[in-house]
Amino acid sequence: MSVLSGILIDGFSYGMILFMIAVGLSVTMGLMRVINLAHGGFALLGGAFAHWLTSIASLNYALSVILSVLAVMLIAIAMERALYKKIYQFSELQQVLATIGIAFLMIASVNLFLGSTLLPIRAPAFFSTSIDLGFRSLPAHRLVVIIAGLVIAGGLYILLDRTRFGIQLRAAVDNRDMAASLGINTVKIYALTFSLGAGLAAFGGILGAELLPIEAYYPLRYMVLFLVVVAVGGMGSIAGSFFAAISLGIIDTAARYIVPDFGTVFFFIAMMIVLTLRPHGLLGRI
Amino acid sequence: MKSPFLKTLGTACALSLLLSGTAIADHTVKVGVIAPFSGPFAIWGKQFKDGVEVYVAQNGETAGGHTVEFVYKDSGGPNPSGAKSLAQELIIKDGVDYLGGLVFTPNALAVAPLIDEAQIPTVIFNAATSSIVMTSEYFVRTSFSLWQVSEPMAQWAYDQGIRSVVISVTDYGPGNDAQVAFGSAFEELGGTVLDAIKMPLQTNDFAPFMQRIKDQNPDALFAFLPAGPPTFAFVKSYNENGLPDAGIKFLGTGETDETNLQALGDAALGLTTAYHYSADHDSDLNRAFTAKLEELSPGSVANLASVGAYDGAHVLYAMIGAVGSERTKAVDVARGMEWESPRGPVSIDPDTRHITQNVYIRRVARNENGVLVNEEFETIPNVPDLGLMQ
Amino acid sequence: MSTDAAKTLAVTPPRKRFRTRLLLDLVLIGIGSATFFLFPENLGFVTRVLIMIIFVLSLDLVIGYAGIATLGHAALFGSGAYAAGLFAVYISADPLIGLAIGIIAGAVIAFLSGLILLRAGGLTLLMLSIAIAQILQEIANKERPLTGGSDGLLGIDMDPIFGIFAFDFFGRTGFWYVFVILVMVFFLLKLVVASPFGLAARGIHESPARMRAIGTPVYWRLVGIYTLAGAIAGIAGALSAQVTELVSLEALGFTLSAEALIMLILGGTGRLYGAIFGTVIFMSVHHWAASIDPFNWLFVIGGLVLVVVYFVPEGLLGLPAKLRQWLRAGR
Repeated sequence: MSVLSGILIDGFSYGMILFMIAVGLSVTMGLMRVINLAHGGFALLGGAFAHWLTSIASLNYALSVILSVLAVMLIAIAMERALYKKIYQFSELQQVLATIGIAFLMIASVNLFLGSTLLPIRAPAFFSTSIDLGFRSLPAHRLVVIIAGLVIAGGLYILLDRTRFGIQLRAAVDNRDMAASLGINTVKIYALTFSLGAGLAAFGGILGAELLPIEAYYPLRYMVLFLVVVAVGGMGSIAGSFFAAISLGIIDTAARYIVPDFGTVFFFIAMMIVLTLRPHGLLGRI
Repeated sequence: MKSPFLKTLGTACALSLLLSGTAIADHTVKVGVIAPFSGPFAIWGKQFKDGVEVYVAQNGETAGGHTVEFVYKDSGGPNPSGAKSLAQELIIKDGVDYLGGLVFTPNALAVAPLIDEAQIPTVIFNAATSSIVMTSEYFVRTSFSLWQVSEPMAQWAYDQGIRSVVISVTDYGPGNDAQVAFGSAFEELGGTVLDAIKMPLQTNDFAPFMQRIKDQNPDALFAFLPAGPPTFAFVKSYNENGLPDAGIKFLGTGETDETNLQALGDAALGLTTAYHYSADHDSDLNRAFTAKLEELSPGSVANLASVGAYDGAHVLYAMIGAVGSERTKAVDVARGMEWESPRGPVSIDPDTRHITQNVYIRRVARNENGVLVNEEFETIPNVPDLGLMQ
Repeated sequence: MSTDAAKTLAVTPPRKRFRTRLLLDLVLIGIGSATFFLFPENLGFVTRVLIMIIFVLSLDLVIGYAGIATLGHAALFGSGAYAAGLFAVYISADPLIGLAIGIIAGAVIAFLSGLILLRAGGLTLLMLSIAIAQILQEIANKERPLTGGSDGLLGIDMDPIFGIFAFDFFGRTGFWYVFVILVMVFFLLKLVVASPFGLAARGIHESPARMRAIGTPVYWRLVGIYTLAGAIAGIAGALSAQVTELVSLEALGFTLSAEALIMLILGGTGRLYGAIFGTVIFMSVHHWAASIDPFNWLFVIGGLVLVVVYFVPEGLLGLPAKLRQWLRAGR
């Protein structure tokens, strides 16, 4: 019983962290159809800014998080205009090459300015306390992540399904020329959506840093992990990414509880089974 | 086995003589250093270089009338074929008489047949798997091995009244060494190993393991993880899941390595480890070492890598000073060498060519400047590589 | 780019095309042999480049000809490397038999994994290929008593080739051994891609539906090509194991797959020559940049990759055509 509840609680909270970090990729890759291997790069930039602001400029945590996310969103808009707007038209393989090149440049930049050691983000002391749930305790920062993840999931659902922006975005993604001829400013929509994806990456990167610590090689180290979440969830589905992240979190955690020796194999076999049975992911659009 | 190679060996020597023809005239002896200078492990190469440069700054550029020149080559990460071709290039093209460096076990193992054939004395600054030194008579090692530090940890823990432990290690070579070394020593003393968990290399979330450890309620947890992100997440998880409050002591070895120690923050306070070097070691030699390091390379952290390279340079200088480029006799110079290192008194075991050194029990604390340091509070003197005695 | 190829097919008379190509191939073989004399002190590095070319050629067959996007090609390289390495340690140290074992291992793993992989496409295929490589790597890590795990597979000590040519300190034997195999692989691949089998692969790449309509068993054709590519990747792995005399987990690693992909796209896909140029340029730039400023080498490769993908999207092989186009535009 305690094992089962442990698996569910730890798995759910780990899954929420995965969701937080991968949801931005679900936006850029799933909705905008860019195989964006530089996704982790935006998380890295967000984390590096937050590290710099909290540790070196000794700014307050919440303010640092907001500033870092905004900075990354601005950088993302600039990069979208300069680099990504051409990438949309590339073939899959060229997208892979272009975005991996961008990821390399991001890594090299952080490496140059901040070195290749861990870049800790000074979180409020409250984060590292544990909260008693009665039958067991849960680290406070996980609770923060869970709440933030739920808010993001809900917010994205409303933004994409219920607002004018969401309707225009979906129209633009389905048929850009048609949307443009209907008077939708697709250039702006694309730039904003890309920036949103990057901002989510930064936010997730910062909040998830207790588990996936920030360092220069972050984008390469966790690239596969992010891709798995989006692939299992299904391209273009925020809800899919949500369920995928939670189930992968629970599967991974279960493996570590029950067969720790075969954790990695278990994780990838689970992913292969899902993808073999449902090649377009759990909730993927075809 | 060597006879078919004798001919090539002769050519190798002849060629390197030819190439270093000028070198002989002005008595320059070249040392090739193979280490990662790019990629996620680039910090190792930098620390090696810093360590060597401190030694050169303190001892001059000559050893026994020979000018010593270091040539650095980037091996990236674990990459045996790359390391081997770099060693070839260093020996044939650059005409080095000695090699040094080597962070990763596969890289060191790939170089072994080459240095055997060309008779190149090679000082390993890090690669810590016990068996490496047995693969070539030309290896000398100035780092440590996991057996060397894990067994003393078990002894100390038992002496403190710790009777039950859970061992939790990352599932790869070094983790396996640490587990076997600590576990067998602890059980031999009469302690109980309640559980030995092998954690997959790609673990991000350690909470499940913490729950499992907590449920078994041992006196202590002995852990081994690769430095960097895994250690960071593990130590955080150890604290957040309330293991310290449950009275489960953290025992480890290199987890509190100085490179990432400050990043761990308060979570690191009180962690107990057994290791061969702390930047905080209380000796004049160490203070001179760390001060010079800060002067030459501001912000560079003194740790096992820089001290491994510093002592490696010392051994290289001793060998070069005694025999110059007549390197076939060099390893005999290193055998049995004794000296005072920033880590304390050390010597090279004449049989295994591995460093014999003190192992210190340390606790993470804040020093007077608020910086996290590994405070040494107990010494187990003159520990050889216990792994090679198995 | 494959439509371009179709265009050249249409305008150039086949015999003339064949002759110019043959000339080009002879020149390449000449340059390849010349490296032996030009870089006698770097044969270890040159040999690594040659092995990598074999591996990237195999990737070109999969990506460039059959259009199978994979990020797990190291699974096949590593299988060949471990099979040849284990064979040398435990059974026989004869290089050629070991090479055959590597070929078989690469082909078998490719066939088995291909059965799963090739039902999928796009991102799903990409992820499945990564998963297979990661699972194999974890197995190699766990089977420590057999494979040496992360320490590497130790104890490979190759016999002389044909019992005559011993592997020497300078890497001369290693160089010629690998070079001869590379030339053989290259011409085999030229034959394959010009054969009905290879043309079918191309057809599937262009339009699977059309190929299915004319009666081609698309899935089994793909499995066939993937198995052949596995055999060739197995050759590369086996050669690497024999020349290095050590196999480590990185032979199955994601980095190897990703780097091979970068080399291939850098050079240009679907033309075999792209694999050669891409690999030579990537590895030479790495070697050169890493010896000057290794710490910042990632800037160089990142920049190079972006310049190529933005300005010469067909890869460096498309550069001459691009230059002509720019010159014409300039006039």
